[in-house]
Amino acid sequence: MTDAASRQNLGSDDGTRGGQPIEMEGARPFDVMEPVDAETRRAMLRHMLVARGIDDEARRLENQGALDLWLSCRGQEAAQVGSATAVGDEAVIFPSYREHAVAVVRGIDAVSLVAQWAGRTYCGWNPRRHKFFPYTLVLAAQALHGVGYAIGRRLKNEAETVAVYVGDGATSEGDMSEAMNLAAVESAQVLFICQNNGWAISKPSQEQMLTSITDRANGFGIRSWSISADDPDSTYLSCLAAKRYVETSRSPGLIELRTTRIGGHTTSDPHTSYRDPEELAAAVANDPVMRYRERLYAAGVVDAEWLESVEAAVDETHRELLKVFAS
Amino acid sequence: MTSTAPSCLAESLNEALGQLMENDESVVLIGQDIGRLGGVFRVTKGLQKRFGPSRVRDAILAESSIVGQAIGMSLSGLTPVCEIQFDGFIYPAMNQIVTQAARMTTRWNDDLTLNLVIRVPVGGGIRAVEHHSESNEAYFAHTPGLHVAFPSSPSDAAAMLKSSCLLGSPVIFYEPKRLYWKRKRQPRELSEPVSALSARVVRRGSDITVVGFGALLEEVLAAADLVASTVDVEVVDLRWIAPMDTETVLASVARTGRLLVVHEAVGFGGVGAELVATVAEHGSNHLRSPMRRLAPPRRIYPPADYESRHLIGVSQIAGAIEEMCT
Repeated sequence: MTDAASRQNLGSDDGTRGGQPIEMEGARPFDVMEPVDAETRRAMLRHMLVARGIDDEARRLENQGALDLWLSCRGQEAAQVGSATAVGDEAVIFPSYREHAVAVVRGIDAVSLVAQWAGRTYCGWNPRRHKFFPYTLVLAAQALHGVGYAIGRRLKNEAETVAVYVGDGATSEGDMSEAMNLAAVESAQVLFICQNNGWAISKPSQEQMLTSITDRANGFGIRSWSISADDPDSTYLSCLAAKRYVETSRSPGLIELRTTRIGGHTTSDPHTSYRDPEELAAAVANDPVMRYRERLYAAGVVDAEWLESVEAAVDETHRELLKVFAS
Repeated sequence: MTSTAPSCLAESLNEALGQLMENDESVVLIGQDIGRLGGVFRVTKGLQKRFGPSRVRDAILAESSIVGQAIGMSLSGLTPVCEIQFDGFIYPAMNQIVTQAARMTTRWNDDLTLNLVIRVPVGGGIRAVEHHSESNEAYFAHTPGLHVAFPSSPSDAAAMLKSSCLLGSPVIFYEPKRLYWKRKRQPRELSEPVSALSARVVRRGSDITVVGFGALLEEVLAAADLVASTVDVEVVDLRWIAPMDTETVLASVARTGRLLVVHEAVGFGGVGAELVATVAEHGSNHLRSPMRRLAPPRRIYPPADYESRHLIGVSQIAGAIEEMCT
């Protein structure tokens, strides 16, 4: 996994500041060079730990039959929390269906997040209140909604930024191409955030596309960037720059977040049957949540007391999930 | 109905769209060639000049993107009215209509107003090329979450379009092509529908109920006149395919004791089957004779030279009525 290791951006040497954005493709370097402040880093770590805690409990609940299905975002927390933190509270988010850590950043609680996987609803939260619209399970359909929403708000003279989350698999859908073309032609204020976890269920990325996602975006006339997104600090900074580009140019952008899927596509996906054991072992070893936790602790950004308080909150989340779904 | 009612469907819809846009700033139109050109059927003629290109939007040539962006616009607070250029070109938008628009309100736990109208020129009889003469209403009627409007006259179409924009849920709005420029019409009873979404009795009679909708209602009314000396025909204009006002049909069948349903789409799995099944379940005690459907067989719509053989004509309808009543 030297490739993954080389993609890591470990930030500044003393660890007290966040890293710089890296590896811009097809674009000038980002102009956001400020470090990530300690408060933002603590918030990001907290969101990552909470998202991981929800994932742990949801997997157990699914295993016990209390959930029908669970789509884990394990391994993608840095990509999701870094990008969602950069997007901020104002932009409306059109997610796909694995953006649990983004939902956590948006203040959606564990019970609301898990409810749809227990068959209780198709959306467990209030989409307007959280500016986080319902999960869309038909791939890339939400990309067109996001573009239309941005056009609509502009027509109402209430322009706002829209963030559309898609996965690498979804970029093969016609709606994704239509959405990119429409966004480009209409100069829609949309940031497409594409998490490339390397897999469309069992089909590896290199078998899904001959050209990169960013190349395809460029082909439509959309500015694009590709970054390694295993580190929340650099992900945050790159996404912040991408969002600022979208807002200042009032035109679309696409950022590819190269990330890692540690679990299966769903809890029903026996992914070990088609994944190389070494690749999987490296993915587990490079767990972005544990790495970030260790880094911030070593750098003194968080201390044992802080971590205990987050763990207590995660334990409380576990109890709530058990109470609501396992009883 | 006023005496100044426009005299053909294209004009009446044009006027209705103009009024809707005048009265409600949130109404925007999206469709291929609807702006500069005024639409291939000229239904939106002059509207871009009047309301500007940001409200009368010439769309990219991609139907999924038309409906997909309209869903997003509706979520943003607008009332988009889309035009799909021809019935046979709606299929690329099918996914957005069926898996997204139709389900959106439910997905939002009913806490959503989704104003969205998708106008679709429909039907044959105009010597059109392949894919330009389809009647595909049954697909959409089968999909929960969609309203399906199918007007049969210019003034009613205008009224139905206005109510469609206010429904708060998506509407597939069919516009029979044969009526766009047709000015001659069969006379009708001037009864108002019970509600905006009701069917309507357009001809009173006592021997048989004939249900139709869209352009074919003209043929039904002509057939009723043709047999008037021997059979007293009641004609019901269904108006909305979904939800379907079966109450009005059941009440009519209770009076006449006979039911014939006529439509242009193929009979198999069609609107007529649904209506006949409903009357079989809830009104069979009223029936004096077996119910019938009159619709084309399950065949691909033929090239223009053969379409008159495929379509249901006045003489066929008159023949079926007479057979059922003797």
